Amino acid sequence: MTVNEILDLLYGTLQTTGLLHLQWNIVIMWGVGSLFIYLAIAKKFEPLLLLPIGFGIFIVNFPLVPLMGYSDGHAQLLMFFYKYGLQWEIIPCVIFLGLGAMTDFGPLIANPKTLLVGAGAQLGVFITFTGTVLVGFTLKEAASVSIIGGADGPTTIYLTQHLAPQLLGPNALAAYSYMAMVPLIQPPIIRMMTNMKERKIRMRQLRPVSRQEKILFPLISSGIIALLVPSVIPLIGMFMLGNLMKESGVVGRLTESAQGPLMNIVTIFLGVSVGATMQANNFLSWKPLFIFSLGLLDFAVCTVGGILTVKIMNLFLKEKMNPIIGAAGVSAVPMAARVSQMEGLKYDRTNHLLMHAVGPNLAGVIGSAAAAGMFIAMFD
Amino acid sequence: MKKFASICVSLMLLFPVFVSADDFLGAPVIPEGKELNKTDVRLEVIIPLSHEEVVSYYREALKDFTDIKFRNWPDATYIEDDGNMPWHSITISKDEKDGTHVTIVKDNWTWIIGTLVLRYIGVFVVLMLLFAGMTVSGKIISGFVRRAELKKTAA
Repeated sequence: MTVNEILDLLYGTLQTTGLLHLQWNIVIMWGVGSLFIYLAIAKKFEPLLLLPIGFGIFIVNFPLVPLMGYSDGHAQLLMFFYKYGLQWEIIPCVIFLGLGAMTDFGPLIANPKTLLVGAGAQLGVFITFTGTVLVGFTLKEAASVSIIGGADGPTTIYLTQHLAPQLLGPNALAAYSYMAMVPLIQPPIIRMMTNMKERKIRMRQLRPVSRQEKILFPLISSGIIALLVPSVIPLIGMFMLGNLMKESGVVGRLTESAQGPLMNIVTIFLGVSVGATMQANNFLSWKPLFIFSLGLLDFAVCTVGGILTVKIMNLFLKEKMNPIIGAAGVSAVPMAARVSQMEGLKYDRTNHLLMHAVGPNLAGVIGSAAAAGMFIAMFD
Repeated sequence: MKKFASICVSLMLLFPVFVSADDFLGAPVIPEGKELNKTDVRLEVIIPLSHEEVVSYYREALKDFTDIKFRNWPDATYIEDDGNMPWHSITISKDEKDGTHVTIVKDNWTWIIGTLVLRYIGVFVVLMLLFAGMTVSGKIISGFVRRAELKKTAA
Protein backbone atom coordinates (compact mmCIF):
# COMPACT_ATOMS: atom_id res chain seq x y z
CA MET A 1 0.00 0.00 0.00
CA THR A 2 1.49 3.35 -1.03
CA VAL A 3 1.39 6.49 1.08
CA ASN A 4 -1.07 8.05 -1.37
CA GLU A 5 -3.41 5.11 -1.03
CA ILE A 6 -3.25 5.37 2.74
CA LEU A 7 -3.98 9.12 2.52
CA ASP A 8 -6.92 8.46 0.19
CA LEU A 9 -8.26 5.91 2.61
CA LEU A 10 -7.92 8.35 5.49
CA TYR A 11 -9.59 11.10 3.48
CA GLY A 12 -12.41 8.75 2.53
CA THR A 13 -12.89 7.84 6.18
CA LEU A 14 -12.81 11.50 7.16
CA GLN A 15 -15.51 12.23 4.58
CA THR A 16 -17.88 9.89 6.41
CA THR A 17 -17.46 11.88 9.64
CA GLY A 18 -18.93 15.29 10.24
CA LEU A 19 -15.55 16.99 10.66
CA LEU A 20 -15.15 18.12 7.08
CA HIS A 21 -18.71 19.43 6.92
CA LEU A 22 -18.60 21.79 9.88
CA GLN A 23 -19.78 25.35 9.24
CA TRP A 24 -19.96 28.48 11.39
CA ASN A 25 -23.76 28.49 11.49
CA ILE A 26 -23.78 24.97 12.90
CA VAL A 27 -21.54 26.10 15.75
CA ILE A 28 -23.94 28.96 16.51
CA MET A 29 -26.79 26.48 16.76
CA TRP A 30 -24.80 24.40 19.26
CA GLY A 31 -24.64 27.59 21.31
CA VAL A 32 -28.41 28.13 20.99
CA GLY A 33 -29.13 24.53 21.99
CA SER A 34 -26.71 24.71 24.92
CA LEU A 35 -28.27 27.99 26.07
CA PHE A 36 -31.69 26.36 26.37
CA ILE A 37 -30.23 23.32 28.12
CA TYR A 38 -28.52 25.73 30.54
CA LEU A 39 -31.74 27.68 31.15
CA ALA A 40 -33.59 24.42 31.82
CA ILE A 41 -31.01 22.93 34.20
CA ALA A 42 -29.49 25.95 35.94
CA LYS A 43 -32.42 28.38 35.91
CA LYS A 44 -35.21 25.76 35.94
CA PHE A 45 -37.03 27.61 33.11
CA GLU A 46 -39.73 25.20 31.86
CA PRO A 47 -37.20 22.35 32.16
CA LEU A 48 -39.65 19.66 31.01
CA LEU A 49 -39.73 21.26 27.58
CA LEU A 50 -36.66 23.43 27.23
CA LEU A 51 -34.33 20.54 28.05
CA PRO A 52 -35.51 18.20 25.27
CA ILE A 53 -35.92 21.18 22.90
CA GLY A 54 -32.37 22.33 23.65
CA PHE A 55 -31.01 18.85 23.13
CA GLY A 56 -33.00 18.49 19.90
CA ILE A 57 -31.44 21.75 18.60
CA PHE A 58 -28.00 20.62 19.66
CA ILE A 59 -28.03 17.11 18.26
CA VAL A 60 -29.70 17.87 14.95
CA ASN A 61 -27.09 20.49 14.10
CA PHE A 62 -24.28 18.06 13.49
CA PRO A 63 -23.41 17.34 9.88
CA LEU A 64 -24.52 14.00 8.40
CA VAL A 65 -26.55 12.91 11.44
CA PRO A 66 -29.40 10.68 10.26
CA LEU A 67 -32.12 12.29 12.37
CA MET A 68 -34.31 14.67 10.39
CA GLY A 69 -34.21 13.21 6.92
CA TYR A 70 -35.23 10.07 5.12
CA SER A 71 -33.22 6.86 4.64
CA ASP A 72 -34.39 4.61 1.80
CA GLY A 73 -37.74 6.39 1.86
CA HIS A 74 -38.20 5.84 5.61
CA ALA A 75 -38.29 8.72 8.05
CA GLN A 76 -35.28 8.93 10.32
CA LEU A 77 -35.76 8.89 14.10
CA LEU A 78 -36.63 12.53 14.86
CA MET A 79 -38.33 13.01 11.51
CA PHE A 80 -40.55 10.08 12.50
CA PHE A 81 -41.54 11.80 15.77
CA TYR A 82 -42.01 15.07 13.93
CA LYS A 83 -44.02 13.64 11.08
CA TYR A 84 -46.45 11.51 13.05
CA GLY A 85 -46.48 13.61 16.21
CA LEU A 86 -46.46 17.19 15.02
CA GLN A 87 -47.23 17.18 11.32
CA TRP A 88 -50.27 15.02 12.03
CA GLU A 89 -51.07 17.37 14.95
CA ILE A 90 -51.37 14.50 17.41
CA ILE A 91 -48.95 15.52 20.16
CA PRO A 92 -50.52 18.92 21.05
CA CYS A 93 -53.92 17.23 21.32
CA VAL A 94 -52.60 14.42 23.53
CA ILE A 95 -50.91 17.02 25.74
CA PHE A 96 -54.25 18.79 26.05
CA LEU A 97 -55.80 15.47 27.10
CA GLY A 98 -53.26 15.24 29.91
CA LEU A 99 -53.74 18.88 30.88
CA GLY A 100 -57.49 18.34 31.04
CA ALA A 101 -56.96 15.35 33.31
CA MET A 102 -54.91 17.53 35.65
CA THR A 103 -57.19 20.57 35.67
CA ASP A 104 -59.78 21.50 38.25
CA PHE A 105 -62.26 23.88 36.63
CA GLY A 106 -63.93 24.55 40.00
CA PRO A 107 -62.71 28.18 40.34
CA LEU A 108 -63.87 28.98 36.80
CA ILE A 109 -67.26 27.35 37.31
CA ALA A 110 -67.69 29.17 40.62
CA ASN A 111 -66.97 32.54 39.00
CA PRO A 112 -67.77 32.15 35.28
CA LYS A 113 -67.52 35.87 34.56
CA THR A 114 -63.76 35.45 34.64
CA LEU A 115 -64.18 33.78 31.24
CA LEU A 116 -64.36 37.27 29.79
CA VAL A 117 -60.92 38.03 31.20
CA GLY A 118 -59.59 35.10 29.19
CA ALA A 119 -61.11 36.67 26.08
CA GLY A 120 -59.77 40.15 26.88
CA ALA A 121 -56.28 38.76 27.34
CA GLN A 122 -56.20 37.76 23.68
CA LEU A 123 -55.77 41.45 22.79
CA GLY A 124 -52.04 41.03 22.15
CA VAL A 125 -52.70 38.16 19.75
CA PHE A 126 -54.68 40.40 17.44
CA ILE A 127 -52.44 43.45 17.80
CA THR A 128 -49.28 41.44 17.14
CA PHE A 129 -50.88 40.02 14.01
CA THR A 130 -50.99 43.52 12.55
CA GLY A 131 -47.39 44.27 13.49
CA THR A 132 -46.18 41.01 12.02
CA VAL A 133 -47.93 41.64 8.71
CA LEU A 134 -46.39 45.12 8.60
CA VAL A 135 -42.85 43.74 8.63
CA GLY A 136 -43.50 41.36 5.77
CA PHE A 137 -44.72 38.07 7.20
CA THR A 138 -47.52 36.39 5.26
CA LEU A 139 -50.96 36.42 6.88
CA LYS A 140 -50.65 32.76 7.88
CA GLU A 141 -47.22 33.32 9.41
CA ALA A 142 -48.52 36.40 11.22
CA ALA A 143 -51.37 34.40 12.75
CA SER A 144 -49.03 31.68 13.95
CA VAL A 145 -46.60 34.19 15.47
CA SER A 146 -49.27 36.25 17.16
CA ILE A 147 -50.73 33.28 19.05
CA ILE A 148 -47.49 33.17 21.11
CA GLY A 149 -48.98 35.90 23.33
CA GLY A 150 -51.76 33.50 24.31
CA ALA A 151 -48.99 31.73 26.25
CA ASP A 152 -50.23 28.29 25.43
CA GLY A 153 -47.57 25.95 24.08
CA PRO A 154 -49.75 23.20 22.59
CA THR A 155 -52.09 25.77 20.98
CA THR A 156 -49.12 27.63 19.50
CA ILE A 157 -47.73 24.39 18.10
CA TYR A 158 -51.12 23.28 16.79
CA LEU A 159 -51.80 26.56 15.00
CA THR A 160 -48.26 26.97 13.67
CA GLN A 161 -48.22 23.44 12.31
CA HIS A 162 -51.54 24.15 10.65
CA LEU A 163 -50.68 27.51 9.09
CA ALA A 164 -46.92 28.02 8.93
CA PRO A 165 -44.99 24.83 9.74
CA GLN A 166 -41.74 26.49 8.68
CA LEU A 167 -41.96 28.63 11.84
CA LEU A 168 -42.70 25.76 14.22
CA GLY A 169 -39.33 25.78 15.96
CA PRO A 170 -39.00 29.51 16.67
CA ASN A 171 -42.67 29.87 17.61
CA ALA A 172 -42.66 26.95 20.04
CA LEU A 173 -39.40 28.08 21.54
CA ALA A 174 -40.61 31.66 21.96
CA ALA A 175 -43.90 30.48 23.51
CA TYR A 176 -42.25 28.21 26.06
CA SER A 177 -39.45 30.68 26.82
CA TYR A 178 -41.86 33.50 27.57
CA MET A 179 -44.12 31.18 29.57
CA ALA A 180 -41.10 30.42 31.74
CA MET A 181 -40.45 34.13 32.11
CA VAL A 182 -43.97 35.04 33.27
CA PRO A 183 -42.66 35.88 36.80
CA LEU A 184 -40.26 38.38 35.25
CA ILE A 185 -42.50 39.88 32.58
CA GLN A 186 -45.82 40.31 34.38
CA PRO A 187 -45.11 42.05 37.74
CA PRO A 188 -43.87 45.35 36.23
CA ILE A 189 -46.88 45.43 33.90
CA ILE A 190 -49.25 44.74 36.81
CA ARG A 191 -47.70 47.61 38.77
CA MET A 192 -47.88 49.91 35.79
CA MET A 193 -51.53 49.14 35.07
CA THR A 194 -52.96 49.23 38.59
CA ASN A 195 -52.96 51.58 41.58
CA MET A 196 -52.44 50.62 45.20
CA LYS A 197 -56.16 50.71 46.01
CA GLU A 198 -56.96 48.31 43.18
CA ARG A 199 -54.17 45.92 44.14
CA LYS A 200 -55.65 45.63 47.64
CA ILE A 201 -59.16 44.72 46.49
CA ARG A 202 -60.35 41.63 48.33
CA MET A 203 -62.54 39.15 46.56
CA ARG A 204 -65.26 37.09 48.15
CA GLN A 205 -64.43 33.45 48.75
CA LEU A 206 -65.58 31.27 45.84
CA ARG A 207 -68.69 29.15 46.32
CA PRO A 208 -68.25 25.39 46.49
CA VAL A 209 -68.89 23.68 43.17
CA SER A 210 -70.84 20.43 43.03
CA ARG A 211 -69.55 17.29 41.32
CA GLN A 212 -72.47 17.41 38.89
CA GLU A 213 -71.45 20.89 37.72
CA LYS A 214 -67.88 19.76 37.23
CA ILE A 215 -69.06 16.80 35.15
CA LEU A 216 -71.37 18.94 33.06
CA PHE A 217 -68.77 21.64 32.37
CA PRO A 218 -66.63 19.70 29.85
CA LEU A 219 -69.76 18.64 27.97
CA ILE A 220 -71.21 22.16 27.80
CA SER A 221 -67.95 23.82 26.84
CA SER A 222 -66.94 21.28 24.21
CA GLY A 223 -70.47 21.46 22.78
CA ILE A 224 -70.43 25.27 22.55
CA ILE A 225 -66.92 25.39 21.11
CA ALA A 226 -67.67 22.59 18.64
CA LEU A 227 -70.60 24.62 17.40
CA LEU A 228 -68.86 27.99 17.21
CA VAL A 229 -65.21 27.22 16.45
CA PRO A 230 -65.21 23.65 15.11
CA SER A 231 -61.67 23.92 13.76
CA VAL A 232 -60.19 23.87 17.24
CA ILE A 233 -62.18 20.96 18.60
CA PRO A 234 -59.31 18.45 18.30
CA LEU A 235 -57.55 20.48 21.01
CA ILE A 236 -60.50 21.51 23.17
CA GLY A 237 -62.25 18.18 22.72
CA MET A 238 -59.25 16.30 24.09
CA PHE A 239 -58.87 18.86 26.88
CA MET A 240 -62.46 18.34 27.93
CA LEU A 241 -62.24 14.56 27.56
CA GLY A 242 -59.30 14.54 29.97
CA ASN A 243 -61.28 16.70 32.38
CA LEU A 244 -64.40 14.57 32.09
CA MET A 245 -62.33 11.47 32.86
CA LYS A 246 -60.97 13.19 35.97
CA GLU A 247 -64.26 14.59 37.22
CA SER A 248 -66.30 11.47 36.53
CA GLY A 249 -64.16 9.59 39.01
CA VAL A 250 -64.95 6.27 37.35
CA VAL A 251 -61.91 5.90 35.12
CA GLY A 252 -59.12 6.47 37.60
CA ARG A 253 -56.65 4.34 35.65
CA LEU A 254 -57.24 6.27 32.43
CA THR A 255 -56.96 9.60 34.24
CA GLU A 256 -53.70 8.57 35.86
CA SER A 257 -52.31 7.43 32.51
CA ALA A 258 -53.37 10.64 30.76
CA GLN A 259 -51.94 12.99 33.37
CA GLY A 260 -48.83 10.92 34.06
CA PRO A 261 -47.08 8.47 31.76
CA LEU A 262 -48.85 9.47 28.52
CA MET A 263 -48.23 13.16 29.11
CA ASN A 264 -44.57 12.52 29.95
CA ILE A 265 -44.01 10.37 26.88
CA VAL A 266 -45.49 12.87 24.44
CA THR A 267 -43.63 15.71 26.15
CA ILE A 268 -40.34 14.00 25.33
CA PHE A 269 -41.35 13.53 21.69
CA LEU A 270 -42.69 17.06 21.47
CA GLY A 271 -39.61 18.71 22.91
CA VAL A 272 -37.05 16.80 20.94
CA SER A 273 -38.88 17.04 17.62
CA VAL A 274 -39.58 20.77 18.01
CA GLY A 275 -35.87 21.27 18.74
CA ALA A 276 -34.99 19.15 15.74
CA THR A 277 -36.86 21.47 13.39
CA MET A 278 -34.32 24.17 14.19
CA GLN A 279 -31.55 23.33 11.81
CA ALA A 280 -29.04 26.10 11.16
CA ASN A 281 -30.21 26.69 7.60
CA ASN A 282 -33.81 27.31 8.67
CA PHE A 283 -33.19 29.06 11.95
CA LEU A 284 -30.49 31.63 11.35
CA SER A 285 -32.46 34.34 9.62
CA TRP A 286 -34.17 37.56 10.68
CA LYS A 287 -37.56 35.90 11.13
CA PRO A 288 -36.84 33.84 14.29
CA LEU A 289 -35.08 36.82 15.87
CA PHE A 290 -38.06 38.99 15.06
CA ILE A 291 -40.43 36.35 16.43
CA PHE A 292 -38.55 36.40 19.72
CA SER A 293 -38.68 40.17 20.08
CA LEU A 294 -42.29 40.46 18.98
CA GLY A 295 -43.30 37.53 21.20
CA LEU A 296 -42.27 39.54 24.25
CA LEU A 297 -44.38 42.49 23.17
CA ASP A 298 -47.26 40.16 22.36
CA PHE A 299 -47.09 38.65 25.83
CA ALA A 300 -47.00 42.07 27.46
CA VAL A 301 -50.02 43.33 25.49
CA CYS A 302 -51.97 40.17 26.37
CA THR A 303 -51.24 40.83 30.05
CA VAL A 304 -52.39 44.44 29.62
CA GLY A 305 -55.53 43.19 27.84
CA GLY A 306 -56.43 40.92 30.77
CA ILE A 307 -55.92 43.65 33.36
CA LEU A 308 -57.88 46.19 31.30
CA THR A 309 -60.76 43.73 30.91
CA VAL A 310 -61.03 43.37 34.71
CA LYS A 311 -60.94 47.14 35.10
CA ILE A 312 -63.70 47.58 32.53
CA MET A 313 -65.77 44.83 34.16
CA ASN A 314 -65.32 46.54 37.53
CA LEU A 315 -67.17 49.57 36.14
CA PHE A 316 -70.30 47.41 35.97
CA LEU A 317 -69.82 45.01 38.87
CA LYS A 318 -71.11 45.48 42.40
CA GLU A 319 -68.44 43.23 43.86
CA LYS A 320 -65.19 44.44 42.35
CA MET A 321 -62.53 42.06 41.11
CA ASN A 322 -58.86 42.60 41.84
CA PRO A 323 -57.29 43.65 38.49
CA ILE A 324 -54.15 41.70 39.35
CA ILE A 325 -56.00 38.50 38.41
CA GLY A 326 -56.44 39.92 34.91
CA ALA A 327 -52.78 39.18 34.28
CA ALA A 328 -53.58 35.50 34.69
CA GLY A 329 -55.81 35.72 31.62
CA VAL A 330 -52.83 34.73 29.48
CA SER A 331 -52.96 30.97 29.86
CA ALA A 332 -49.47 29.89 31.11
CA VAL A 333 -51.15 27.57 33.63
CA PRO A 334 -50.51 27.70 36.58
CA MET A 335 -47.54 30.07 36.51
CA ALA A 336 -49.59 33.21 35.69
CA ALA A 337 -52.05 32.45 38.54
CA ARG A 338 -49.14 32.04 40.93
CA VAL A 339 -47.70 35.39 39.85
CA SER A 340 -51.06 37.04 40.62
CA GLN A 341 -51.06 35.41 44.05
CA MET A 342 -47.53 36.62 44.80
CA GLU A 343 -48.25 40.13 43.56
CA GLY A 344 -51.42 40.30 45.67
CA LEU A 345 -49.55 39.19 48.78
CA LYS A 346 -46.96 41.93 48.27
CA TYR A 347 -49.58 44.59 48.98
CA ASP A 348 -51.72 42.74 51.51
CA ARG A 349 -50.25 39.72 53.24
CA THR A 350 -53.65 38.22 53.89
CA ASN A 351 -55.12 38.71 50.43
CA HIS A 352 -54.86 35.33 48.72
CA LEU A 353 -55.74 35.64 45.04
CA LEU A 354 -54.62 32.23 43.80
CA MET A 355 -58.02 30.58 43.46
CA HIS A 356 -59.51 33.74 41.97
CA ALA A 357 -56.68 33.89 39.43
CA VAL A 358 -57.12 30.25 38.40
CA GLY A 359 -60.46 31.16 36.76
CA PRO A 360 -59.00 33.69 34.27
CA ASN A 361 -56.00 31.43 33.84
CA LEU A 362 -58.17 28.55 32.62
CA ALA A 363 -60.31 30.97 30.64
CA GLY A 364 -57.07 32.02 28.94
CA VAL A 365 -56.53 28.43 27.77
CA ILE A 366 -59.99 28.35 26.25
CA GLY A 367 -59.63 31.90 24.93
CA SER A 368 -56.33 31.26 23.17
CA ALA A 369 -57.73 28.04 21.68
CA ALA A 370 -60.75 30.02 20.46
CA ALA A 371 -58.43 32.64 18.95
CA ALA A 372 -56.47 29.87 17.23
CA GLY A 373 -59.73 28.46 15.92
CA MET A 374 -60.67 31.88 14.55
CA PHE A 375 -57.37 32.03 12.66
CA ILE A 376 -57.72 28.52 11.29
CA ALA A 377 -61.25 29.33 10.11
CA MET A 378 -59.89 32.50 8.50
CA PHE A 379 -57.46 30.60 6.29
CA ASP A 380 -59.07 27.19 5.70
CA MET B 1 -39.94 23.10 -37.56
CA LYS B 2 -42.56 24.88 -39.67
CA LYS B 3 -45.08 22.21 -38.72
CA PHE B 4 -44.26 22.65 -35.05
CA ALA B 5 -44.62 26.43 -35.30
CA SER B 6 -47.97 26.16 -37.08
CA ILE B 7 -49.24 23.73 -34.43
CA CYS B 8 -48.18 26.17 -31.74
CA VAL B 9 -49.88 29.09 -33.46
CA SER B 10 -53.11 27.16 -33.99
CA LEU B 11 -53.06 26.02 -30.34
CA MET B 12 -52.65 29.62 -29.29
CA LEU B 13 -55.54 30.68 -31.45
CA LEU B 14 -57.69 27.90 -30.06
CA PHE B 15 -56.91 28.84 -26.46
CA PRO B 16 -56.49 32.57 -26.58
CA VAL B 17 -56.66 33.03 -22.84
CA PHE B 18 -53.42 31.15 -22.34
CA VAL B 19 -51.47 33.13 -24.91
CA SER B 20 -50.38 35.92 -22.67
CA ALA B 21 -51.75 37.65 -19.68
CA ASP B 22 -51.60 41.23 -18.53
CA ASP B 23 -51.63 41.84 -14.86
CA PHE B 24 -53.10 44.18 -12.32
CA LEU B 25 -51.02 44.51 -9.15
CA GLY B 26 -49.40 41.20 -10.04
CA ALA B 27 -52.73 39.40 -10.47
CA PRO B 28 -53.14 37.91 -13.94
CA VAL B 29 -55.78 39.51 -16.15
CA ILE B 30 -57.20 37.70 -19.17
CA PRO B 31 -56.36 39.94 -22.16
CA GLU B 32 -59.70 39.39 -23.91
CA GLY B 33 -61.46 41.15 -21.07
CA LYS B 34 -63.18 44.47 -21.52
CA GLU B 35 -62.33 46.96 -18.82
CA LEU B 36 -65.39 48.25 -16.98
CA ASN B 37 -63.80 50.20 -14.19
CA LYS B 38 -60.21 50.74 -13.14
CA THR B 39 -58.78 52.64 -10.17
CA ASP B 40 -55.46 52.26 -8.33
CA VAL B 41 -56.99 49.74 -5.97
CA ARG B 42 -59.61 47.94 -8.04
CA LEU B 43 -60.08 46.56 -11.52
CA GLU B 44 -63.36 45.30 -12.95
CA VAL B 45 -63.39 43.50 -16.29
CA ILE B 46 -65.92 41.49 -18.23
CA ILE B 47 -64.57 38.46 -20.06
CA PRO B 48 -66.27 36.71 -22.99
CA LEU B 49 -65.72 33.28 -21.48
CA SER B 50 -67.77 31.07 -19.22
CA HIS B 51 -67.29 31.15 -15.44
CA GLU B 52 -65.72 27.68 -15.54
CA GLU B 53 -63.20 28.72 -18.20
CA VAL B 54 -62.17 31.79 -16.24
CA VAL B 55 -61.81 29.78 -13.04
CA SER B 56 -59.67 27.15 -14.75
CA TYR B 57 -57.53 29.92 -16.25
CA TYR B 58 -56.88 31.31 -12.78
CA ARG B 59 -56.30 27.86 -11.31
CA GLU B 60 -53.62 27.29 -13.91
CA ALA B 61 -52.13 30.77 -13.61
CA LEU B 62 -51.92 30.65 -9.82
CA LYS B 63 -51.01 27.02 -9.34
CA ASP B 64 -47.50 27.81 -8.10
CA PHE B 65 -48.66 30.14 -5.33
CA THR B 66 -49.04 28.31 -2.03
CA ASP B 67 -50.91 31.00 -0.13
CA ILE B 68 -53.80 31.30 -2.56
CA LYS B 69 -57.16 29.80 -1.78
CA PHE B 70 -60.24 29.36 -3.93
CA ARG B 71 -63.61 29.70 -2.22
CA ASN B 72 -66.73 28.56 -3.96
CA TRP B 73 -69.47 31.01 -3.01
CA PRO B 74 -73.07 30.73 -4.24
CA ASP B 75 -72.75 33.73 -6.55
CA ALA B 76 -69.04 33.80 -7.28
CA THR B 77 -65.70 32.07 -7.04
CA TYR B 78 -63.54 34.05 -4.65
CA ILE B 79 -59.76 33.81 -4.85
CA GLU B 80 -57.96 35.16 -1.82
CA ASP B 81 -54.26 35.73 -1.27
CA ASP B 82 -52.99 35.02 2.24
CA GLY B 83 -49.40 35.65 1.24
CA ASN B 84 -47.54 38.79 0.32
CA MET B 85 -49.05 39.56 -3.07
CA PRO B 86 -49.98 43.20 -3.76
CA TRP B 87 -53.53 42.10 -4.60
CA HIS B 88 -55.96 40.75 -2.06
CA SER B 89 -58.75 39.04 -3.97
CA ILE B 90 -60.12 38.10 -7.36
CA THR B 91 -63.88 37.66 -7.52
CA ILE B 92 -65.21 35.73 -10.51
CA SER B 93 -68.93 36.21 -10.83
CA LYS B 94 -71.15 33.21 -11.61
CA ASP B 95 -73.66 35.44 -13.34
CA GLU B 96 -72.64 34.99 -17.00
CA LYS B 97 -74.72 37.81 -18.49
CA ASP B 98 -72.63 39.24 -21.40
CA GLY B 99 -69.62 37.32 -20.11
CA THR B 100 -68.00 36.73 -16.76
CA HIS B 101 -67.33 39.62 -14.42
CA VAL B 102 -63.92 39.56 -12.74
CA THR B 103 -63.01 42.01 -9.98
CA ILE B 104 -59.47 42.32 -8.68
CA VAL B 105 -58.97 44.21 -5.43
CA LYS B 106 -55.71 45.56 -4.00
CA ASP B 107 -54.40 44.20 -0.71
CA ASN B 108 -55.86 46.46 1.93
CA TRP B 109 -55.59 47.13 5.62
CA THR B 110 -59.33 47.64 5.95
CA TRP B 111 -59.81 43.95 5.34
CA ILE B 112 -57.03 42.92 7.73
CA ILE B 113 -58.12 45.19 10.57
CA GLY B 114 -61.79 44.45 9.94
CA THR B 115 -61.32 40.69 10.07
CA LEU B 116 -59.11 40.97 13.17
CA VAL B 117 -61.62 43.08 15.09
CA LEU B 118 -64.36 40.69 14.07
CA ARG B 119 -62.39 37.70 15.24
CA TYR B 120 -61.43 39.34 18.53
CA ILE B 121 -65.12 40.01 19.14
CA GLY B 122 -65.69 36.39 18.09
CA VAL B 123 -63.49 35.17 20.97
CA PHE B 124 -65.62 37.25 23.35
CA VAL B 125 -68.81 35.83 21.86
CA VAL B 126 -67.56 32.24 22.31
CA LEU B 127 -66.59 32.84 25.93
CA MET B 128 -69.74 34.85 26.67
CA LEU B 129 -71.91 32.01 25.41
CA LEU B 130 -69.89 29.64 27.55
CA PHE B 131 -70.42 32.03 30.46
CA ALA B 132 -74.17 32.03 29.82
CA GLY B 133 -74.25 28.24 29.49
CA MET B 134 -72.32 27.78 32.72
CA THR B 135 -74.41 30.29 34.64
CA VAL B 136 -77.68 28.66 33.58
CA SER B 137 -76.48 25.09 34.14
CA GLY B 138 -74.89 26.13 37.45
CA LYS B 139 -78.18 27.56 38.68
CA ILE B 140 -80.17 24.50 37.60
CA ILE B 141 -77.75 22.03 39.15
CA SER B 142 -77.32 24.04 42.34
CA GLY B 143 -81.12 24.01 42.67
CA PHE B 144 -81.26 20.23 42.25
CA VAL B 145 -78.41 19.68 44.69
CA ARG B 146 -80.02 21.98 47.29
CA ARG B 147 -83.36 20.20 46.94
CA ALA B 148 -81.71 16.79 47.29
CA GLU B 149 -79.88 17.96 50.41
CA LEU B 150 -83.10 19.33 51.90
CA LYS B 151 -84.80 16.01 51.26
CA LYS B 152 -81.93 14.20 52.94
CA THR B 153 -82.10 16.46 56.01
CA ALA B 154 -85.86 16.13 56.19
CA ALA B 155 -85.57 12.35 56.06
